[in-house]
Amino acid sequence: MTALFVENVWSPPLATEMRVENPHDRSALTPASAPAPLPEAGLVEACRRGRLDAFEQLFHLHGPKMKSIALNLMGNPHDAEDAVQEAFLKVYRGLAGFQGQSAFSTWVYRIVVNACYDMRRRGLRQVDTVEPQAEAEEHPLDRASAPAANHPLRLALEKSVTQLSEAQRVVFLLYEVEGFSHAEIGAMLQISEGASKNRLFEAKRELRRLLTAERGTARKATP
Amino acid sequence: MNVSCKDLDRILERQDAAELAALEAHAAACDGCREQLALEREISAAARGMQRSWESPELWPRIRQRLAAEPRPSESRWSFSRIFEAWTLNWQVAAATAALAMIVVAGTWFVLMNNQPEPPVIVEPKQPPTKETAPTEVAKDPEPTRTPEQERERRLLTEVALGEVERAETNYIRSIERLSKLAAPKLQSADSPLLANYREKLLVLDSAIAECRAQLDQNRFNAHLRRELLVIYQMKQATLTEVLQEEVR
Repeated sequence: MTALFVENVWSPPLATEMRVENPHDRSALTPASAPAPLPEAGLVEACRRGRLDAFEQLFHLHGPKMKSIALNLMGNPHDAEDAVQEAFLKVYRGLAGFQGQSAFSTWVYRIVVNACYDMRRRGLRQVDTVEPQAEAEEHPLDRASAPAANHPLRLALEKSVTQLSEAQRVVFLLYEVEGFSHAEIGAMLQISEGASKNRLFEAKRELRRLLTAERGTARKATP
Repeated sequence: MNVSCKDLDRILERQDAAELAALEAHAAACDGCREQLALEREISAAARGMQRSWESPELWPRIRQRLAAEPRPSESRWSFSRIFEAWTLNWQVAAATAALAMIVVAGTWFVLMNNQPEPPVIVEPKQPPTKETAPTEVAKDPEPTRTPEQERERRLLTEVALGEVERAETNYIRSIERLSKLAAPKLQSADSPLLANYREKLLVLDSAIAECRAQLDQNRFNAHLRRELLVIYQMKQATLTEVLQEEVR
């Protein structure tokens, strides 16, 4: 029994560069250099063992997309980062329950989405009443990856997206913004692929209606 | 395929390639549908610009700090695992101990039951009570595990067999006694040392017969005693025959 315990705790390090001075002092887990990336199965197992270097790899792999999803759901980068942090804690606590029925990344993104929902429900920020751009300007957002960042249509779209229902908004963001497939979205939101398609259609129809109305108003306002 | 403005939403929902092509053809001549189709594409294009990325150098250290403050999931998981394994091991040990205890108890019970003297069974005599056929105890059962019916049948068969033996024995004894009566005058006179020896030998044999019969009275089913008794009777018969032959000589 003791041997079994020792074997589990004293598992080999993720990479040879890792130095573990004291296995019980996790603050001592510091990479001497960037660890070699693990395949997903290895990453999951390492995360299961509570290895912080594995979580760091997870952060580098999926953090950017997690932040992007959270930003579009929360409306500002501060809450988005809080949601990502909350998601990592949930991943850390819930990995024992991950049974591999979906891809690990899909499971992680689902946790981000749920963390955003939870934070919104807790009312940490009234994101629906906040102009996303106004908050974003206070944060060093790198818009280099979005060439049409200040395009009028994009700004109008961002505003219109906030008027969608939560169910429509998340599917629209995951499909059109983040590029997930309907199958992946179905796995994330635990809905069917057909339901994902239907929600996307409804979201885009609503956006068309909102944007058409806005264009009509703009035309009327223009002499 | 005929497509009208009313089909716009249905076709966009179904996303069928042929219907979309027909809708494109219709939109070429319809300003409203053309605008809607264009807006549909613009939304998708603009949506890609909503993907955000920004540097957040403090985010991972913050997350790491929070994770480090959490109870180690591997420890708790393996703690549970160890508890489960310990329980499993204890359960296995307990099961093995219980099985061993059952074997010991069953073995002890079996040994005790085999060594325990069976309560004597009184057999009603089939003949008028004599010394040989008086009620006696029944031998113990060598196989205790029988149903009551089997036990009754077995005892009945044994009683029948024993009755035949006892009847033959009684007849044999009677014939020997008749022989004894014939030799009695000769032995009582004992006018020769040889006859005196025969008389002494017959007394010893009678004594052995009495002792053997006394033991048989305690266990009628003791075949060994019955064989011994038969041998003694045969010796008595041979001795009496020799006495009578001596008289003839």
